[in-house]
Amino acid sequence: MTEAALTSLLPLPVAIPLAGAVTAPLLARLSARLPVIVSVAALTASAAVLLLAAPWVFGGRVIAGYLGHWTPVSGHVLGIAFAADPFGLLLALATAIIGVVLLLYSLSELGGLGPRELGGYACLFQLLLAAVIGAALTADLFNLFVWFEVAALSSYGLAGFFLERPMALEAAFKILVLTTLASFAVFIGAGLLYAETGALNFAQLHDSLARHLTTPDTVALGLLVAGFATKAGLVPFHGWLPDVHTTAPGPVNALFAGPMDGLGILAIGRIVFQVYPAGSTPVLGLLMTFGLVSALLGAIMALAQDDLKRLLAYDTISQVGIIVVGLSASNPAGVAGATYHLVNHALFKALLFLAAGAIVHRTGVTKLSEMGGLARHMPVITAAFLLGAVSIAGLPPFNGYVSLSLIHQGLEQNHDAAAYWLTLAAQVITIAALGRAAWLAFFRRRAGDYEWREQLRPGMLAGLGSLGACCIAFGVAGPALLRTLMAPAAAGLLQPGRYAAGVLSGSARLVTLHITFDYFSPAELVSVAASIVIAAVLGWRYLRIREPRVIGALRALHTGSANDYAAYAIAGTLVAIAVVSLA
Amino acid sequence: MILVNYLAAVALLCIGLYAVLTKRNMIKMVMGLSLMEAATYLFMISLAYRAGSTAPVLLSPPPGKSAGDLVHGNVADPVLQNFCLTAVVIGVAVTAVFLSVVVRIAQHYRTLDSDKVRKMRG
Repeated sequence: MTEAALTSLLPLPVAIPLAGAVTAPLLARLSARLPVIVSVAALTASAAVLLLAAPWVFGGRVIAGYLGHWTPVSGHVLGIAFAADPFGLLLALATAIIGVVLLLYSLSELGGLGPRELGGYACLFQLLLAAVIGAALTADLFNLFVWFEVAALSSYGLAGFFLERPMALEAAFKILVLTTLASFAVFIGAGLLYAETGALNFAQLHDSLARHLTTPDTVALGLLVAGFATKAGLVPFHGWLPDVHTTAPGPVNALFAGPMDGLGILAIGRIVFQVYPAGSTPVLGLLMTFGLVSALLGAIMALAQDDLKRLLAYDTISQVGIIVVGLSASNPAGVAGATYHLVNHALFKALLFLAAGAIVHRTGVTKLSEMGGLARHMPVITAAFLLGAVSIAGLPPFNGYVSLSLIHQGLEQNHDAAAYWLTLAAQVITIAALGRAAWLAFFRRRAGDYEWREQLRPGMLAGLGSLGACCIAFGVAGPALLRTLMAPAAAGLLQPGRYAAGVLSGSARLVTLHITFDYFSPAELVSVAASIVIAAVLGWRYLRIREPRVIGALRALHTGSANDYAAYAIAGTLVAIAVVSLA
Repeated sequence: MILVNYLAAVALLCIGLYAVLTKRNMIKMVMGLSLMEAATYLFMISLAYRAGSTAPVLLSPPPGKSAGDLVHGNVADPVLQNFCLTAVVIGVAVTAVFLSVVVRIAQHYRTLDSDKVRKMRG
């Protein structure tokens, strides 16, 4: 297959699930499960097309095509570019493959629902996946805004999927308010940038902004970062995230935590590195601060939760923070670690949310204080949850170890001791929070039996099994994956000039980055061991003491009121604009 | 007098934001968000304005001008107007979802007060 043929195939991975989404409600009239089965096929086809491009792109090429063949005329772009660079393709592939697993799992867990529900579910699920793949492949700012909105609209539907549950409606209202505010920020940001530079294409924007940067350009940067940070779930834009995750079904949680947060992080990465010249504004410092605050606040709030899914949701905020910290280190090790952690997080958080969802599904219990002794009754779920927990904890040989080590390495190379220790502190609290959850849910003694509802079905087992296997494989094959997938992805982000050349001319080659990773680095192994010991002590102590004042104060900040969350987000947006444009 | 447009857009944005941040009635919050949305449209259309320009339509040009004049001459920016069209369509869909969620909340909680619709906190 030639490169030209490949570029003409690039819109297909988005078009196939979009077509599936449109036909889903119609197919549901034939048979209730048919739309979900078709959506599995659609995402498989989408992943297959992406895999065709993978050898070229991960070999270090950027390939680009213009929709409708509106190719650039003497450097001026009129059409919408679809470009596959290793960073975007990695997220697109991960999204398509995890999408297949989640849809299979849904077929098994929610297969008993009626045709209307399943038709709508398959439609929204595919729309969201198509939007994330589209956002990963597009090289056009306005097109990115449109994919953002498609993802937003489908996420509203999925957040309020259980319409008969009032809590789900409350969550849907909060995600609507915050994401709508975010969409205004992205919209105005894109408009300002276009009015100032006359360009929407990432490559043209890059060339224009590298020459000179005006105040409207930097205001636009602040707005865009704030808007996409809401989708990623960074503090202080995170108000919607815990609520939505508390009420949504397990596969939807997994979809939001992996691909949808991924969209926000991908857009931030693209805008900060590939569109704007990264060194000429204080945006990396701003992101580092947002990331560290998210990492710490998310971990502390996770430690204090009683609802299992809400705990995992706060942990998502913490992990997104760590990914953004890695990105803002802006050296090869940090950025490669961040992309690695992005994929890892999608895998292990999906595993944890599916396990939590299965517990709720089988016992009807959502609170940790009412759980206990589940290890005896549900050995498979216990194993899945523990596997996810040790992966997040960064225990070798599981996947979190590799990505976290790389992020640490990136911070060390910048001699950023404060960020390094704060990341490590967040890590310790995360381990304590998950350890506490595992103890309370699985190992503690509990009087009385549960009201058993449903059995684990083969599709659910297959979903848990494949995600768990990926967690182990991504850990064991760490150095190989780093060389073949993550280093090219980091190269795509850190060589914006070559990405821009690729988008404009249709093809360009990236310079290979050599990132060393020592699996048996003594310092890293000691730090993992020390974190686990400290976390065990912390978690054990936390079970026996009354809630400390700090946690009470942080809890009080999360008032649950949509007005307050909107105020935090607006404040965050203003801070972002002020820091980026005034400094 | 394009400055008036910008001032109006900022004023609308602030009124909308005021409603979102201070009104606890959820319908009023949706109205506030709609106002903010209208402000963004006004802002975009104003950015597209060029002094003394004509509409970016090349067919049947105004008296005394040919299509060629328009291609090389002074027309309002069609791309920003396109932005608005797209955003208006998206905005309608979002408002529809918004209002249906609010109606459902009103049915289940028997209230529209966002301060009473907060079972999840902390």
